[in-house]
This record gives sequence, C-alpha cells and structure tokens, in this order.
Amino acid sequence: MDNESPLKAIIVVVSTALVCSVLVTVAAVSLQPIQNAYQDLERIGYIVGISGIAEPVEELSELEIIAAFQDLEPRIVDLERGTFDETYNPRTFDTREVATAPEFSVTIPTAEDLARLGQRSRLATIYLVRENDELVRIILPVYGQGMWSTIYGFVAIENDLNTIADMTIYEQGETPGIGDPIQSREWQTRWQGRKLYDEDGTLRFRIIRGAVDRSSAGSIYEVDGLTGATMTTNGVMNMVRYWFGPHGFETFLNNFSTVSSAGDTQ
Amino acid sequence: MMRARRALLAPLIDENPVTLHILGICSAVAITNSLHSALIMSLMLTSVLAYSNIVISMMRRHLPSSVRIIVQMTVIASGVIVADELLQTFAPETAQTLSVFVGLIITNCIVLGRAEAFAAHNKVGLSLLDAIGNGIGFSLILITVAFIRELFGTGALMEVVILKPVSDGGWFEPNMMLLLPPSAFFIIGCIIWGIRSWRPQQVERADFQPIAIDESEGK
Repeated sequence: MDNESPLKAIIVVVSTALVCSVLVTVAAVSLQPIQNAYQDLERIGYIVGISGIAEPVEELSELEIIAAFQDLEPRIVDLERGTFDETYNPRTFDTREVATAPEFSVTIPTAEDLARLGQRSRLATIYLVRENDELVRIILPVYGQGMWSTIYGFVAIENDLNTIADMTIYEQGETPGIGDPIQSREWQTRWQGRKLYDEDGTLRFRIIRGAVDRSSAGSIYEVDGLTGATMTTNGVMNMVRYWFGPHGFETFLNNFSTVSSAGDTQ
Repeated sequence: MMRARRALLAPLIDENPVTLHILGICSAVAITNSLHSALIMSLMLTSVLAYSNIVISMMRRHLPSSVRIIVQMTVIASGVIVADELLQTFAPETAQTLSVFVGLIITNCIVLGRAEAFAAHNKVGLSLLDAIGNGIGFSLILITVAFIRELFGTGALMEVVILKPVSDGGWFEPNMMLLLPPSAFFIIGCIIWGIRSWRPQQVERADFQPIAIDESEGK
C-alpha cells in the first residue's frame, strides 16, 4: 500500500496507539502490586520509627523493620463508641482505604471539621507498643488538609495518654523547602514531651508562630512553628486537634483504661 | 563494518549529542548534582534510546511522512512510561530522587533526534549501535559533570568521603554553587570549549559577519 495514502496513515496511527497502550497498561497493572508493597513497607518504617522500640529506623534492614512491626499490636478502634472493634482483622483490614466507602464513612459536622476532611471512616487502626507486656506507647493515625495536600501522619503518645512521645508524617505534598520540612526529623523531634490535654482534660495542644518561650505558662502544650509555612503548620495543628478532639480519638482515650483491660482478658 | 564503527564511535566525541548538537541539556543540568543520579539517568536514557531506535527502525518502511513525528513520539513516550514504572518498582528510592526527570526523557531531544535523523533511514542493527553510541556519548558528559559537581560540591562521591569537608573537621570547603543547576551550565560550557579547541572542525561557522563601521564617518 502506498505509504502516503490517508488510509495507511490511519492504520499506522491506530495500530501504534493500540500496541503502545497495551504495553503501558500491562506494565502499570503488573507492577502495581510491587509498588504498593513498597509503599506499605515505607509506611511500616515510619510507624516503627516512632514506636521507640527499635534502633534508629534508618539503620534497620527491611526484614528487621517488618519484624519490629510484627511486635506491635494493631487494633481497630470504633471512633463513635470509643471502643475496640473486633469484627475485622487489624493486620489485613485497611481503614484508610475504606474512609470513603459508604458503609464505613461518617460525615464530619462542619463545625468540628478542623482537619477539613468532610468525611472519615468510623474505624481507625492504631498500634499498641508493649515492652515486657507493659503498654509504653500508642500510635494513632492522623490526617488532614495542609496548604496544598492531604497530610498523613502518626502521633505516638506515652502511656499517660497525654504526652506526645513522637510524631511522623509519611505522606504530604506541601511546598518543597517551605512546607515540606514538616517531614524533617529535626522539627518532629521538637514534639517529644509536649502535652495534649491539661488537668481538666481540655485539649490545649498548639503549634505557634515562631519559637516557643519555654518559660511561659502553657508552653508544655506548644510546638514551634516553621518559618514561612504558617498554612502548612496550621494544617498539621488542626489535624492533630481534630484527631485528639471529641470527634476523633478523645472518646476512645477517655475509655482506654476500661477497654484495654477488657481487651486483655480475651 | 566502517558504518557500524562510525555509528557506535562517532557520537562519543566527534558528534557528541550534548557538546556538538547541544541536546539533552535539561537533564544534564537538572540531575548532575550527584553521580548516582547521573549513572541511573544515563542507563535510563541509553535503554530508552536503544528501544526507540530499534522500534522506529523496524517501522521505517511503514511510516507515512504526514504522521511520522506523532507515531515516533507515541513509541518513545510508551517506552519512557514503562522504564519509569520499572524504576519506581525496582528502585523506588532512586526514582524519588530523579522525580520528574525520568518522565521528561520523553522530551529529551536526543531520543527524537536520533529517531528522526538515524533510525528512520537505517537498518535495525545499525540503529541499535547508533543508540548505544549516543547513549554513551550523553552518559560521558553527564558522568563528567556529575563527578565534578558532586566531588567539589560535597567532597564525597557516591557517599564515600574523598575530600573531608571543614564541617566534619577536615580541610575542604565545599563549593555550594556546584550543587545548584547553573554550575552545570558553566561546566558543560567549559567541556564544549575544550572539545572545540581540540577539534576545531566542530566550531560552527558564524551566522553573519559584523559590519565594520568606519569610525571617521558621520562624526
């Protein structure tokens, strides 16, 4: 057939498009499971990193990270009732994935929607860290809107259910160099030892502009803001305030002493 | 035999895609602040180039000139996406440091340039040699630039400290400017200067001659 005929051009274009799209689709679909596994491994690394039981997580091999993760005790929390939910296997059930599924989704009242999420799953997976059978930390998932992106992280609290032991951010799309230092350990370690609630149980946690004046009253509830990243750090503060507020884990944390002893007897 | 030799060896210095044709500068500037990224990028570009030259050479008798470029771009883009997926799967950390620049191989003029200028008119074997030659030519420049930038910008190469920086109690003061993209321009410029002094036939003829103005005229 004449190379310059319109029919030939159409045949060549269509067949190239078909072959190439099959090639790209096969590559994308067949490699997806491996990419997801890597993302899971990365997330596990962040969880292990703030569990306080492992060496600096950067020095661990992948297998050591998985082994350390297996030592944690995942539990699914029913946020409405503030109790553990035993229906699903916490090791396999992905509470993040079902956040928008109708049977799990809960609409967040606008007045309470500090993290600007709109809806969330009624279930959340948390991790209990035990050392010699004694509870030392609880790792709770938090997420919320930053300036540009949804920020996903974990906050580890001590067994007093009030002191922040550590925190980490594992997914964000904030401005590089300005907002994304929320992922730097240098900033995250400044959260260690800060408190969430005061004696009356009121949520006092705040990220303030500039550096915290350590001598001022209430500075124990405050974390330094990041210069130039007010929107992003406000997003992080609001998501923490949401998740530790009455619509987040507050009910569960208030119930914790009763539900955890009930759980232990099983 | 002569043609095969030429296809493979000419792009190394005599017809280097970066220094003679000034192609592929975008990635040469962007990712050469570390030798590791430069090596991965070189490997990725050479594989994409080899794939696209082979496929386009196989199709060369059936490429209507009216849709030639778009068909070539489709072939190249698919190859780049597959290469990017493979990198993200098997070397995710490297993929993160290279970020968008693997995807941008699609717009690397070397790939389309070789498809148009060589693969569309030559046999498959010869096109493959041309791709490998050009890939190595590009890699040579990338690796040289990255070597200079990483060594003098950080004092280390591939995480091995060679020149101990002052901050770690050594004597070497790292040149921070070398870590910024503009420094790649200076280095590539110096390489081009060097090559053209050595091989003056590469110097382009001036597009026009400045007209000498007689200064005594017109006052």
